[in-house]
Amino acid sequence: MSANGSGAPKARSSKRTDKLSLLLTAVGNQDKAAFEELFKHFSPLIRSFSQANQHEGSYPGLHEDLVQEVMIKIWQKAGKFDPEKASATTWIYTVARNCRIDMLRRKSNTQHLPLENEDYWQETDENTPSSLLQQKRSEDKLHAAMDRLPHEQKEILRKVYIEGKSHSETSQELGVPLGTVKSRVRLALHKMQIFVPFDQQDGLIYD
Amino acid sequence: MTSKKGFCPETEMLVEFSAGVLGPAESICVSAHLHFCSKCREALLQLDQLGAKLLGEGEGEPSGKTSFEEVLSKIEFADEDVKMQSEPSDEKQVVFAPVVDRLMKHNLKSLKWKKLSSSVEMAQLETGQNVFEVSLHKICAGGKAPVHDHQGLEYTVVLKGSFSDERSVYREGDFILREPGQPHQPIGAQNGECICLSAQSAPIKLTGPFGFLMNKWLQIHPS
Ligand SMILES: [Zn+2]
Repeated sequence: MSANGSGAPKARSSKRTDKLSLLLTAVGNQDKAAFEELFKHFSPLIRSFSQANQHEGSYPGLHEDLVQEVMIKIWQKAGKFDPEKASATTWIYTVARNCRIDMLRRKSNTQHLPLENEDYWQETDENTPSSLLQQKRSEDKLHAAMDRLPHEQKEILRKVYIEGKSHSETSQELGVPLGTVKSRVRLALHKMQIFVPFDQQDGLIYD
Repeated sequence: MTSKKGFCPETEMLVEFSAGVLGPAESICVSAHLHFCSKCREALLQLDQLGAKLLGEGEGEPSGKTSFEEVLSKIEFADEDVKMQSEPSDEKQVVFAPVVDRLMKHNLKSLKWKKLSSSVEMAQLETGQNVFEVSLHKICAGGKAPVHDHQGLEYTVVLKGSFSDERSVYREGDFILREPGQPHQPIGAQNGECICLSAQSAPIKLTGPFGFLMNKWLQIHPS
């Protein structure tokens, strides 16, 4: 546990060394060949990510626009990618999510929106080596646990995250009560050891 | 209550925030809470990892019109824009929470405070949507707001100071959801003014003795 235990073997680093993270790091150094490889890997994923979304503001060419916008953002911002803090896929997921929500909002809103979705996020300060290592470990655990999730739980997570549906839209679409949708999400999070503070409050809020 | 246990957004909200499904006004409130709550920030990091895993294992739709060359050519144009705008130095001191500061354009003077009662003032924030009215509320030290109820949802995030009502004491960062049928009377702490971010989805209904008068002032003006 202690960070300064002199004789102890050095804690493993949180630095991601998977292929995609190495590629994204190279893109941060303006490497076009690496960028092309990333494009090949991610553009089909981004395309299906937006095709699944049939939300207000959605339009037939949205997925191609999104592929372009996300790839451009990746190129422009890759220099800020830090493989100690996140994996390439997580970093790119947040870029794609923010782009998608902004595009939908722009299309469905007549008013000027003063904030882009990325303005809702802020740099976190949980960046000490030990907390980064912990994040990396929880990510590994999460991946293993997700592969074992029952279909009914994973299906809901996919609806929310990939198809961009709220819990209540998901409940309508699946014909499952909202309470069931919520409890399946909670069960899934619990299995993946994602502990959301609200659930640790024992209903404190509503007496 | 002396524990440091805070009030946090419910799990579904954080999940929808991470999935990019939550509406703008609710997202503003969650974002303001995150500034104060490291536990929720930690959970959110993991929720984003979950979203990434789902994205990464998708089947993918390989056939599309966008070619790599097309993206490259657009990048050359876009690069110019980026240089033009160049990074704003984001090292500004946080006044309330980054998201709120951005909404008031980092300028306290841009807030137009309106008196709602002898102890409560309100300043609207422009958010470009009209599902919720988003505003700041200020209660002076020891000030009592009138008892009121809401016909819609009300999210509140304490940005500065603290207040209490019949149920609890709320401190900086606390995230509170009120639903219709939960009349309440916020009272500012004695030791200083309290400023809250609030998002209301429908007009407030006053139940106190000055109901008639207050209703007029508290009508919602979506901006
Ligand atoms: Zn929290």
